[in-house]
Amino acid sequence: MDYLVHILILFSIYGMLAISLNLVVGYSGLLSVTHAAFYGIGAYATTLLMINLDLNFFLSLLIGMVFSGGTALLIGLVLSKFKDDFYAIASLGFNVIVYSIMLNWQTLTRGPLGIPAIPRPSLFGFSFFGNFWFLILVLFFLIITYLIARSIVNSSFGRVLKAIRENELATQIFGYNTKYFKLTIFVIAAVMAGVAGSFFASYVSFIDPSTFTMHESIFILSIVILGGLANLRGAVLGAFILIILPEALRFLGLPNEIAAQSRQLIYGVILVLLMLYRPQGLIGEFKLK
Amino acid sequence: MQLILNSFIAGSIYALVTLGFNLIYSTTKFFNLAHGAMATVGGYTVFYFSKTLGLNILLSVLFGLLVAGFVGYLTNKIVFKPLRKRGATNMVLIVASLGLLTAIESLIAILFSSQFQTLSNNQVTQKLFHIFGGVVTQTQILIFISSIIIMLGLMFVLKYTLFGSAVRAISDDEEVAKVIGIDTDKILTIVFVVGSIIAGWSGILTGFDTGLTPILGMGLLLKGVISSIVGGVGRVGGGVLGAFMLGFVENFGIWYISSEWKDAIAFGVLILFLVFRPHGIFGKK
Amino acid sequence: MELKIKNLSKSFEGVKAVDDLSLELKSGIVNGIVGPNGSGKTTFVNLLSGLLPYDKGVVVIENTKIKKMKPFESLGYGVTRTFQDVRLFEQMKVIDNILIVLTKKDVFGSLFERQSDYQLNTALDILKKVGLYSKRNELALNLSYGQRKLLEIGRALATKSDVYLFDEPFAGLFKEIKKDVIKLINELKKENKTVILIEHDMDLIRELTDQLFVIDAGKLLASGKSEDVLANKKVIKAYLGN
Repeated sequence: MDYLVHILILFSIYGMLAISLNLVVGYSGLLSVTHAAFYGIGAYATTLLMINLDLNFFLSLLIGMVFSGGTALLIGLVLSKFKDDFYAIASLGFNVIVYSIMLNWQTLTRGPLGIPAIPRPSLFGFSFFGNFWFLILVLFFLIITYLIARSIVNSSFGRVLKAIRENELATQIFGYNTKYFKLTIFVIAAVMAGVAGSFFASYVSFIDPSTFTMHESIFILSIVILGGLANLRGAVLGAFILIILPEALRFLGLPNEIAAQSRQLIYGVILVLLMLYRPQGLIGEFKLK
Repeated sequence: MQLILNSFIAGSIYALVTLGFNLIYSTTKFFNLAHGAMATVGGYTVFYFSKTLGLNILLSVLFGLLVAGFVGYLTNKIVFKPLRKRGATNMVLIVASLGLLTAIESLIAILFSSQFQTLSNNQVTQKLFHIFGGVVTQTQILIFISSIIIMLGLMFVLKYTLFGSAVRAISDDEEVAKVIGIDTDKILTIVFVVGSIIAGWSGILTGFDTGLTPILGMGLLLKGVISSIVGGVGRVGGGVLGAFMLGFVENFGIWYISSEWKDAIAFGVLILFLVFRPHGIFGKK
Repeated sequence: MELKIKNLSKSFEGVKAVDDLSLELKSGIVNGIVGPNGSGKTTFVNLLSGLLPYDKGVVVIENTKIKKMKPFESLGYGVTRTFQDVRLFEQMKVIDNILIVLTKKDVFGSLFERQSDYQLNTALDILKKVGLYSKRNELALNLSYGQRKLLEIGRALATKSDVYLFDEPFAGLFKEIKKDVIKLINELKKENKTVILIEHDMDLIRELTDQLFVIDAGKLLASGKSEDVLANKKVIKAYLGN
């Protein structure tokens, strides 16, 4: 039972990551391979605020959102100069830069040593120390994230995103300053990723830069593509599959280290297979051509 | 002085990676991020044959190169060629190459563990050379020399051989090349194999120089990508120059800032070039 | 909406694609633009719709002088266009291809906007007008070639602009669909819009256009009433070569 709660918490966190990345990759057609950076910024910001300034989790979460969103604004502005494959490469570059900063700004982040003893959220005296209550909390945020994403997708803005993905120039001809639209969704997605990061930090109570590398970005991307581009439920489905799978591997008795690498092997292979045979993923509405 | 030497050596390693990468990019016009995995494959194959099986070192290196080339051949045959044939966009190809990179490197990690391994023989201490006050190891000299030789060799082949002109024709315009009767599939296959072998060689040398880890390929690859973009994607000579420039910027950069920032500096350079000069120093617009 | 083009010039790497072009395009008629391949027609349309910046020259739309225009500004100036290579939103539904034209253009506005009945009905009316009502929930990529061209035109019509740039809308169409497009263009004429038609098909030009402008090598070769221009010896020579 405990184990189930644990998996569901991870699933919720990755669900938020996948939903947010889907908004950027699936709906807007921007191949962003830097999502882990915003995940990490949210995690570190929340952690540092809670530990160094003794702030409440929820307040730290909010401020963390500002940090991930702000960074996304800057990165997004530079990325807006690129298209397609150059966009992907540049975004990878940013992931590495952010990771480097996490690793090397040791006075702030303690570098590779990481930051331990991150407290659980508490509100009005109630502490979410128990995993069950934490699960409820994070599921709640997952649902909110989903609802917000759905609202965006169903609005006129959502339609514009899809049009940008299909043909950006034609979208401009019909009066849209597409740069602003792309930047906006990029920032919104980054903020959501930051929230996921805050929960991650609080849950595992220890963070270090190694979680937020480009490998993680590729993993989140594979969840999104597997579940299906431009389908929010697909994002959730993808997260469910790719989180449950490796946990199942652990049951097979594989030592921890190999289990982690096996997960990577699996999603690497899945990515290739998807590109070859099913670029729209399981229930996607859009395929990478 | 040591700084200058280090820059040259770093540049040489990046040059080796970028030579293969650029060759593939110039003909296929996509960023094959799985290229880095070939380096890892090469290095670990040598490790397997020499350390685990105890085979003669030269033979192991030969195997390493062959296996790297073979894996490169496979990735093209199974993944990239079919995708390109159905007209996949560069984004699909990049995603597929990311998948391949991840899969191959994790497979290696499973087979060989993530621990740091070294190819060099512990008994024999590396011969050291003293040049104008700086120190380089024998391996490092080998790295430098081989990168120059391979670069010159490649340039010669491209300029003076039939195969080379076919490659240049494809780089220029693949459709036209097909029309004038060039067997583009065969040429591209050879390009992939040759590129992968060069990458394998760089992985092997790295194994001797600094050691092996399953993710060494990814690191090398990223530097290779940066070198290519700085020097001009698709231009063999340009890529090499970009590689050396990168080596210099990194090493001199860390003279002022501490060495852990090396990667960030490298990627900062990448972003700057992408924004201001995406065709690189020598590339055409 | 009078459209005056004054001394428009655009070069690509030294080659003058559009060379000191000056024309006047009136509303309520069909202005035809013809010329041999590579004469600069498409560059001209791209300049007018803001896809390319001008090197020199000014475009005056109803007393507003425009020296440069970004693509997303063209709609604000009352200009819309179709593309020779039909640029639809492929993986979106036909109805969405029209709706995109009608919804709010600013980020905040569109974030909080839901599809209104007015928008939906307007879009459906457009589809009915171009004969694509029955295909409204199909993905654009599933349409036939002719239907795609009609959707492009419908999309442009939905903008209710004053200036319409049609870049070879008839290319590759069957006779029946050609008739439909002719009908739509004539309706625009009646509504006193400024229609600019780029075409290769001389019969269509003869039938549809009132004023004709011939462009060759980026320069204006001839202009005037269509019948006169078509009989012009210089024009015939430019088309037939030597």
